[in-house]
Amino acid sequence: MTNHDIELMAHLMRRAGFGATRDEIERYAAQGYDATVDMLMDTSQSDGIQIDLIRRYHPDHSGGLGMAGFGAFWLHRMINSQTPLVEKVALFWHGVFATGYAKLAQGKVLMDQIQMFRDHGFGDLRTLLVELSRDPSMIIWLDNNDNHNGAINENYGRELLELFSMGVGNYTEDDVKEASRAFTGWTVGNTEYMKLKADNDSLWPYGRLNLHFEFRDYDHDQGEITFLGHTGTFNGEDIVDIICDQQATARFIARHMYSFFVADEPPVPSWPYTPPRDAEALDIMSEAYFNGGCTIKPMLDTMFRSDFFKSESVWYEKVKSPAELVAGVLRLTGEHRSYSPAIQEDANAMGLMGQTLVNPPSVEGWHWGDEWIDTGNLVERINFASEHFSKDFTAGIADTVDADITARGGSVQPHELVDTCLDHMGAIRITETSRKSLIEHVARDGDVKLNGGGSGRSRIAEMVQLIGATPEFQKG
Amino acid sequence: MTTVTKSGILTYDRTLGVAAMDARGFYYAVALAFRSDGRLFVQGRSHDGDTRGARITVMDYDSGYYGDFGSYGSGDGQFTWPTDIALDSEGNVYVTDEYLQRVSVFDSDVNFVKKWGTQGSEEGMINGPSGIECDADDNLLIVDHNNNRIQKFTRDGIFLKSFGSEGTAEGQFNLPWGLRVAPDGQIYVADWRNDRIQRFTSDGEFVAAYGESGDGEGQLYRPASVEIDDAGYMYIADWGNERVQVFDPDGGFVQLLKGQATTSQWAQEFLDANLDENRARSESDLEQYHLLTTDDPHEVASQIETIFWSPISVRFDSEGRLFVLERNRHRIQVYAKSM
Repeated sequence: MTNHDIELMAHLMRRAGFGATRDEIERYAAQGYDATVDMLMDTSQSDGIQIDLIRRYHPDHSGGLGMAGFGAFWLHRMINSQTPLVEKVALFWHGVFATGYAKLAQGKVLMDQIQMFRDHGFGDLRTLLVELSRDPSMIIWLDNNDNHNGAINENYGRELLELFSMGVGNYTEDDVKEASRAFTGWTVGNTEYMKLKADNDSLWPYGRLNLHFEFRDYDHDQGEITFLGHTGTFNGEDIVDIICDQQATARFIARHMYSFFVADEPPVPSWPYTPPRDAEALDIMSEAYFNGGCTIKPMLDTMFRSDFFKSESVWYEKVKSPAELVAGVLRLTGEHRSYSPAIQEDANAMGLMGQTLVNPPSVEGWHWGDEWIDTGNLVERINFASEHFSKDFTAGIADTVDADITARGGSVQPHELVDTCLDHMGAIRITETSRKSLIEHVARDGDVKLNGGGSGRSRIAEMVQLIGATPEFQKG
Repeated sequence: MTTVTKSGILTYDRTLGVAAMDARGFYYAVALAFRSDGRLFVQGRSHDGDTRGARITVMDYDSGYYGDFGSYGSGDGQFTWPTDIALDSEGNVYVTDEYLQRVSVFDSDVNFVKKWGTQGSEEGMINGPSGIECDADDNLLIVDHNNNRIQKFTRDGIFLKSFGSEGTAEGQFNLPWGLRVAPDGQIYVADWRNDRIQRFTSDGEFVAAYGESGDGEGQLYRPASVEIDDAGYMYIADWGNERVQVFDPDGGFVQLLKGQATTSQWAQEFLDANLDENRARSESDLEQYHLLTTDDPHEVASQIETIFWSPISVRFDSEGRLFVLERNRHRIQVYAKSM
């Protein structure tokens, strides 16, 4: 296999997962690119997550009182899942259908929503949007519990069109109102009590009480509805059917998908005024959507096998989100393969970098891209990578670098140290200028010798830390 | 099926406790134990994202509250991942901590006395201490769960003996959790990942195993705790199935409990002081089974408040009432025996 094969596989694993070690990349490259995409897309595989153990050791990953425990629970899955694309797709939909803890005051119902994304995130969009519309956390988050026959609350109907499926400019204000009428009566059981407990952030008397969907026929608008040129006595499912058939929906989802998996796009509010980075790519993905019967999986499959995805022009063109960065670092260091309280601190670090999972800043979700690396966040990101790459030199990536150099006689020249570390950290390609700077830094102290003492090992650790601070590592 | 036996059947009596991050109440409580005077010691574990609830709450059957002690941390008298609690004949309190790999000891006035334990796999070392029991001689039996064995120590932590190893054969374990010394001195272990209860003589000789994997009557999924009555009936916290089962001394199925919680005294006092929630709650249906879209016991229990959610510890009081501690509901459901 060529070096390009290795680097391309590293690119795929950064985007379709949370990165991979050199050994994993070589293994996947040996089986071939298409076979690896097949493997990643195979959602029937076990993820290997030991849910019984998680629930035994981490009470809140079971009981779901708050959002802190949920962040650690999801981080554990990102690090340990044998189906990383499933977690990545769940993270993708969490960004699109951003639902926040602030109005819910419980973690369990949000854990359930993310599980729904795992279950339906690759399937047909109709099912996903119907499940989303029935999702109790979404109902409370966007006030559909206040959407009544004769007194509509348009919050969910509007966001369904504006942020979740079609985008501004592809529907009218009347369509928003009519869609909202179709979702009247879609609420949660024990609405008043559940909403009051959420508003009061009440865990009394017996903890949080998980929510469930309730359709109230008596509160559903049975009148004639006209939506996007279609007229009938529509329920929410009918609205979703019409939405899924729209060209605008296919392109909107495709643009979201391109921005998440291929290269950063500007924030959604600017999309009506800013052309996409690669309109042809959106055409290809939209075609795959319709050819697959309005299904997500063919879009992903087509995207990962496309020239626009494989192109070197999009490598390192995405700033890793805090979740991707943290999970990626911890996969490399080998931490949290078992169970300990320490995972909570690392989950909290995502928040310090600007992304507390299930607590987005608004329904618009997080603004991905360069906004992840404002000055304060960048310091947190670099410190996190540096701390973890240096703190346990007996495990994970540092161990494999050490073993590689040992196999070469225990001594390497400065450029060999730099290249070896880049290689083991996921076949990272950095600019020649950056590489030269790193080599010069190492060369100040001469060749690196693993002579049984600590100096050689600490120089390796230092190099791994420095690479963790490079733009290429912070991107992906 | 419920069979009236010489041990009687269990009928719901009352609910105790309330969720609370500190003081009166529980926050992800994981174990309970009785003192000879009837006082109930409830070990709160809390969770990694909010550690305030790691403490031992002292109360009684009548909802009397007698304070709490201990806190989260790694210092003397503190817990990180507390797992079980036991009291000896003098009222000294022993707490296992599966993260700190130690046993913390408090005297009968709940003052911290000492801690002991060394992580490892050699005899006398421990790796993930979970269940703890005091036998009739005031020695301590500890489930050394990551080493898949039971170890016996003096109260001062001096190793006496051990039995068990990793596996599925008789006398072997897969991440065992709770244990109980029966009135006749035999030892019952909740062999958690083997989905069975194992019985041993007081010397650690295998006697019998009960249960098999599944969710039917007589089947178990990840049992966490077991209690034994004078007649040898087993009362099992069938944790993964979110229920309690009663087996006869030969392992035959006798009774299934799913939970039927009502408002505890402490819960009622909260509701009396929060009238808006009290009113909304009283107008709600807390058993909306018709709206469920799942039959996964964990998910059902998260949505139906009256039933068990994470039943984790079962113990009789001196009156023969069975106390079922639910970790995820922060309460205890009490069942009385009736013939």
